[in-house]
Amino acid sequence: MHLFLLGVSHRTAPVDLRERLDFSSRDVGAAVESLAARSSAAESVVLSTCNRSEIYVASSDPARAREELVAFLGDYHQLPKDVFLPHLFAHDDDAAAQHLFRVAAGLDSLVVGEPQILGQVKDAFQAAAERHCTGPLLNKAFHWAFGVGKRVRSETALGEGAVSVSFAAVSLARKIFGRLDGRRVLIIGAGEVSALTAQHLRSHGVAEIVITSRTAAHADGLAAAVGGRTVPWDEMRQAMARADIVVTATGSQRPIIFREDVEAVRGRRRAEPLFIIDVAVPRDVDPAVTEIEQVFLYNVDDLRGIVQENLARRGAEIARAEAIIAEELTRFTAWQRSRRTIPTVVALRQRFDDIRQAELQRLESRLSGLPPEARARIDEVTRLIVEKLLLEPTEQLKALPDEETQAAYTEAVNRLFRLGDEGTAESAAGDIDTSPDTQDAMRDRRSVRADRRGGA
Amino acid sequence: MNVLPLLLYAAAGIAYAIHFARRHPQAGRIATTLLIFAALAHTFVIGMQTMEVGHVPYANPSRAVSTFVWLLALSYLYLEVTTDERAMGVFIMPILIGLQTIPVVSPGVERMDPVLDSPWFWVHVSSLLFAYASFALAGVLGLTYMVQFKEIKKKHLGYFYTRLPSLQTLDVMNWRAVGVGWLFLTLGVAVGALWTAQARLVAPEDPNLQAMSLADPKVLVTVITWGVYSFAVFARKTLGWTGRRTAWLSALGFTIVLLNFLAVSYFITTSHTF
Repeated sequence: MHLFLLGVSHRTAPVDLRERLDFSSRDVGAAVESLAARSSAAESVVLSTCNRSEIYVASSDPARAREELVAFLGDYHQLPKDVFLPHLFAHDDDAAAQHLFRVAAGLDSLVVGEPQILGQVKDAFQAAAERHCTGPLLNKAFHWAFGVGKRVRSETALGEGAVSVSFAAVSLARKIFGRLDGRRVLIIGAGEVSALTAQHLRSHGVAEIVITSRTAAHADGLAAAVGGRTVPWDEMRQAMARADIVVTATGSQRPIIFREDVEAVRGRRRAEPLFIIDVAVPRDVDPAVTEIEQVFLYNVDDLRGIVQENLARRGAEIARAEAIIAEELTRFTAWQRSRRTIPTVVALRQRFDDIRQAELQRLESRLSGLPPEARARIDEVTRLIVEKLLLEPTEQLKALPDEETQAAYTEAVNRLFRLGDEGTAESAAGDIDTSPDTQDAMRDRRSVRADRRGGA
Repeated sequence: MNVLPLLLYAAAGIAYAIHFARRHPQAGRIATTLLIFAALAHTFVIGMQTMEVGHVPYANPSRAVSTFVWLLALSYLYLEVTTDERAMGVFIMPILIGLQTIPVVSPGVERMDPVLDSPWFWVHVSSLLFAYASFALAGVLGLTYMVQFKEIKKKHLGYFYTRLPSLQTLDVMNWRAVGVGWLFLTLGVAVGALWTAQARLVAPEDPNLQAMSLADPKVLVTVITWGVYSFAVFARKTLGWTGRRTAWLSALGFTIVLLNFLAVSYFITTSHTF
């Protein structure tokens, strides 16, 4: 069974194509269900965010899976193949797992280290798991990826530091005031950045957001959006006297707030800190304001500078994150390799058990005189002997260090015990893969065995 | 006997440093655990000495230093537990380790002047040592406040910005430490003055008691300390001084305390040698 991945991301496709291949606007669960219904792949997960649409499958035939997935993408989104074919990327096995780990860790994100992606990967997996579209391989791969994401976040500083102007402003406010609940905010001029900042501040529990704008309609709109109240433009100074945090974003060509203004309104509150965030270009606040003790003034360039520094710091953490991923990938590959031996192991056990059963059958006439307890004991003892004989070879087979050795050993085991001969389809010599139907066959056989044991 | 707490303080100090530099939560928890063990070991040591001499051991400077370290460790632990903020540990530990070295190197002899054998003495010294421990905390909080303030004001968000608590938190903690310290300092000084007056009546010829006045360096510096902290409390309450000014005052105050506590005790002849 191979892990196979096909998709588009911000690295390979322009935004308009990504939008047309997006699954999340419709239902990811429905998508993964309809994929599972028509594809030969045993397991599938669809991951769709604004920066990527990726399909992960577990398939015995990656080449066939690729064709099926391309056809599925075209049909599902009603797009001709040639539109998206040049933008697709595909990985199998180790490369696919590595990609999944990097995505979960936030290394493949547009903004490296952004925290949402891990949750999105979890949701994608959840949607598929709920519809029974996942199985042993994808379950393991995705849970492994969640672990990798967590490790990278806790052991590196990849996700640290604000990387947008509005977040940088909020994190500064928190460094000045500690908790923001109970703080009062004044927004002067309704613009995009001031709206975003207001929203972040609101989510940190500020007590009050007051908005004022030369155009009353703008102020009303923003007030409705962030749950604030408006005051008339000419009451701006009174409002400033009450505020702890002031965000200015007017289109004024000249500064509107000067040192004297701030000193005048501070009055009795001059002992308390005042944080002024000037996101307007050109600036709304005279730089001399920063000379007032307890007043912290940041303009949009300062905030951009912080964002740049944080991005650079994240960049420095990438190598550490990649090292963690490489380490986890080695362990994951070892696990996957050990899984490849499962068909041989199952066949081997089957072979031994068949011999055991045959011998018991042969002795049936002599054993029939024994009491039922003694017969049960014989069955138990013979079964245990078989189990113990097979324990060590099974472990050794699973722990083989590389694929080539593993192929050689499986081949040897197949030949030594003639595992391919008696129509045990899953272990035809040399083919160490399992297709879904042979897996089912194995499962059936196992349950038959269990029944027999129960009956004995 | 003071070696064990010293070693544990040192171990906790290393753990706090790792916690601060790497921001590793596990290292922080280990640091707190080590510090708790250090404080317990220290409690045991002081308990033993108390049993040995029959009173809390601070009638000679080295043992007083040891008791001070113990109080500071306990006060810091209280601060850490109530605020869930471990970043200050890395600044407090060097003080603990540095001062605890003194009783280890020169244990001193506990000799009790009969004139000191009074409950007043106990109240006087306990209050002052506890006040000094609070001022030590306040001093460290003040220094870190200034570092943090400077980084934010100058828009240079560096090493400390990501590691220290917010300005508001530092300011509030600083104010609490100054307030508590000032109360105990006032109590300690008042008791000391009353008790001296009382003792003079009992033993008018004792030369030490005679010299006990503002001319004595230790008494003088203590009164200056009291003045500085009284001003800090007054400025906060009525002038609305917060933030950097309060931080400056508490750093200045603690410098004077250290001067009084170490330099005056060990190097300057004074009548206040008990």
